[in-house]
Amino acid sequence: MIDALNSMLDSLMDSAYIKSLPFLYEGLKLTLLITIVGLFLGFILGAFTGLGRLSKNGFIRGISTIFVEVVRGTPILVQVLFIYFGISEDLIGVNISALTAAIIAITINAGAYIAEIVRGAVHSIDKGQYEAGRAVGLTERQTMRYIIWPQAFKRMIPPLGNQFIISLKDTSLFSVIAVGELVYQGRQYYNATFEVFETLVMVCIIYLMITIPTSVILRRVERKLDV
Amino acid sequence: MITVKDLHKSFGDLEVLKGISAEVKESEVVCVIGPSGSGKSTFLRCINLLEDITSGEVTIDQDVINDPKTNINQVRSQVGMVFQHFNLFPHKTVLENITIGPVKVKGMKEEAAKEIALQLLEKVGLSDKADAYPESLSGGQKQRAAIARSLAMEPKVMLFDEPTSALDPELVGDVLEVMKDLAREGMTMVVVTHEMGFAREVGDRVMFMDEGVVMEEGDPQQIFEDPQNPRTQEFLSKIL
Repeated sequence: MIDALNSMLDSLMDSAYIKSLPFLYEGLKLTLLITIVGLFLGFILGAFTGLGRLSKNGFIRGISTIFVEVVRGTPILVQVLFIYFGISEDLIGVNISALTAAIIAITINAGAYIAEIVRGAVHSIDKGQYEAGRAVGLTERQTMRYIIWPQAFKRMIPPLGNQFIISLKDTSLFSVIAVGELVYQGRQYYNATFEVFETLVMVCIIYLMITIPTSVILRRVERKLDV
Repeated sequence: MITVKDLHKSFGDLEVLKGISAEVKESEVVCVIGPSGSGKSTFLRCINLLEDITSGEVTIDQDVINDPKTNINQVRSQVGMVFQHFNLFPHKTVLENITIGPVKVKGMKEEAAKEIALQLLEKVGLSDKADAYPESLSGGQKQRAAIARSLAMEPKVMLFDEPTSALDPELVGDVLEVMKDLAREGMTMVVVTHEMGFAREVGDRVMFMDEGVVMEEGDPQQIFEDPQNPRTQEFLSKIL
């Protein structure tokens, strides 16, 4: 009995399920790096663009709208090819690293979606809040900062969490420019070992280990915020 | 205190205010009554430029507020506004709702602003609610907190836009009581209201508006007991 268990454990430890892990772990680190840095920068970009879409200034509104529409209307795969090969190599002639290109692509792509999240959240705040802020004597900027933004930000949290999951999965596309993220590492591993099934199972499990807890936390936050 | 000259306001093709002239003297309480859609709320909102003025002139204490050179934030900080739906800031406590104006607009120290806020809360009967969030208050308490928020800026004029219309009937009294106190203390007030009892008892003057113009104005006694304009007569006969 114990022998049987032992030998099962041995064969598991010896299988690609476990042996691929150190390799995949290197990929996971890059996946998380691209996602987190990209989303952080994307949030800044999205906040400006989202507010830009609500601006009274027609020029700012126009630019923001074009940005959002172009980015949302094209595949992220094309965007990253554009950034890595099209713009940096071909057009400007500067080589940026594949990792930089990946982070820029997530920033721009998530930025466009976050712009819509920001716009929607700010727009959903009752107009009376703005009026009350102005009636107290706050400037437009102060009203935005102290009254509208804090309330809107609360409403942004659930969709931002959702965007995190989407962007995390989008990073898998960057294997085409040879960024050593999770999927790229997986492919490298099974190309060398031919243990395709086991490797891909592990890749999926690693994604799920991040996405499922994230959505559980999100659901809790959502219930708590009551939005 | 407030002078309005030939005020026009259009929303697109719809002309809501068709030439309103009015004057409110210091310490005067003017009640604006009229059917819904008559433009009374728009008139009030034009007085602190929550609506852009299409043409005409509004002067508060010598400042022409719709002159582009006037600092409108400065003017607004001297004009308190109380809304039908209170518009308290839900992410701030009652106390913070009141102190934000003095602190951010006037640059007052937190401590000093807090002291003023606590005095005002006592005045409107909400001393025990300083640290509560608006959602835990009843409608009447919310409106009294909103009045305290406006008073914290030490306004020269208070504008009330149907302050009791969204309240359950049994909560109206407390709010009107606070407003009566203010009137007694000599606050200049413009009150858009459906509370005819309040208009009669507290108002120094009543303006009846309909279809974007002031149809009739006069002291409450005369308006309520001996209205001259047929529209006023019709309106009052419907509601009294």
